[in-house]
Amino acid sequence: MTAEIQIHRLFKKYPNGTEALKGISLEIQKGQFFTLLGPNGAGKSTLVKILTTLINKDSGYFIISGIHPERNQSKIQKIMGVASQDNEIDPTEKVENLLVFQGRLFGMMKPEAAKRANELIQLLELEKERDKKASALSGGNKRRLHCALALVHRPRILFLDEPTVGMDPVARATFWEVITQLNSKEGVTVFLTTQYLDEADKHASEMALIVDGKIQYSGTIFDFKKMVNPNSIMSLDDSYLQYVKTISNRESSNN
Amino acid sequence: MNTANIILIERGIVKLLKNPSAPLMGFGMSLFFLLVYNAGIGGIGSMEAFGTGGYLSFVFPITIISLAMGSSAGAGQTLNADMQSGYFKRLYLSPAPRWILVIAPMLADIISSMIFTILLMVIGAIFGVRFQFGFMSVLGIVLLSFLWSLTLCGFSAGIMLRTGQHQSAAIVTNAVFPLLFLSTTFLPRELITADWLLAVSWGNPVTYILEGNRYLLGGTSSAGFFFIGLLIFAITSILSVTFALLSAKKIKI
Repeated sequence: MTAEIQIHRLFKKYPNGTEALKGISLEIQKGQFFTLLGPNGAGKSTLVKILTTLINKDSGYFIISGIHPERNQSKIQKIMGVASQDNEIDPTEKVENLLVFQGRLFGMMKPEAAKRANELIQLLELEKERDKKASALSGGNKRRLHCALALVHRPRILFLDEPTVGMDPVARATFWEVITQLNSKEGVTVFLTTQYLDEADKHASEMALIVDGKIQYSGTIFDFKKMVNPNSIMSLDDSYLQYVKTISNRESSNN
Repeated sequence: MNTANIILIERGIVKLLKNPSAPLMGFGMSLFFLLVYNAGIGGIGSMEAFGTGGYLSFVFPITIISLAMGSSAGAGQTLNADMQSGYFKRLYLSPAPRWILVIAPMLADIISSMIFTILLMVIGAIFGVRFQFGFMSVLGIVLLSFLWSLTLCGFSAGIMLRTGQHQSAAIVTNAVFPLLFLSTTFLPRELITADWLLAVSWGNPVTYILEGNRYLLGGTSSAGFFFIGLLIFAITSILSVTFALLSAKKIKI
């Protein structure tokens, strides 16, 4: 297998002194459905922001699809799609126009962008909202549109940072159907961070656990569960809670 | 220029057309100056110091200056709206070069400012403003106006990007406003009696854009003002664009 994302000893310290990443190293293979788990403030979003070139790292390096993002930023942007925690939508524009504009921004000609916008509108069940301004959409539909915008240019790698926050169960199911199909049929690599561990358990195969800016575990979800409790395989949710509790007890006794 | 750059500039223009309050305010203010000053004190234009163009040609450069002052906040407002909605982050994650995200709304602002400048010149010509060198005067005025607009627009956008508040885009206009009164705005140098005001006007960059325009209009000034004006505002344009681009790097995503 080829490593789609290689991360080597990444460090990041914010100006307020917070050390968000303390030497992260990871490898995510091409076509993998990978999830990064960890408590709030562990460094998940910081890592996603660095990988998507929103912020700079302090040291270390990372390579995506064989490209150094800092050397060829626009090439990297073309192959990755990002859906982060917050809706990034122009509220004054209509749903269809936003999708077409997004396609054109990624180099599509207008007819191609319009065709792709139509596909995504159908795929994410936004037909009734097509001509509505984004500001008039319900919270759930805004999330659908937000995620659709990340998919317009058919990215090879998807960064999903808490993508289903604010989605109703139906929207969530539709969203995961789309993502799992992209992953299984089109070989899109998925890098997911989520607090909904049931979603990670259901869709991802590989995981890493980050606590206080350090990777505590990296491997398959099944192996993680087995490591936490070899005698009886629990849900990812229970395994995660047990493991995080063990780490925090270990650190308290060390202190 | 690649497609992404072009469509981002297009978007900036469409945004302005959808919310034209800033350029329309600038245009309205300019027309107000042109009509009110000419109607109120146009009679003094018969004095020799106002040249053959009369008071209308003398006061016309103020309308050009006011136009950009009124509309320079447009780019700042577009950038602010994108930042507030989070859409700026989505644009930031596109393959478009990041500098164009700041430059595109500024260019839209400047294009609108140029269109209104030409419209003002047409209105001015109808009212009797004299263009000393014909088409070359028109070109010269557009060039000075372009640099002046770029200067205001860049500083406006930069300040807005640093403060994150749309109200702050008006800081530049407020800062420049007093400079209008410390220049040869209402009377030619020959008729200004206070020595201190004359001295201040020499160091005031607004004087050079006013006098440069007057050279092109009624011929009451010298070519030196025009060329020094070009140089000053070419430098301030570079500084303001640099300031805006550096400010974009300070945005917290």
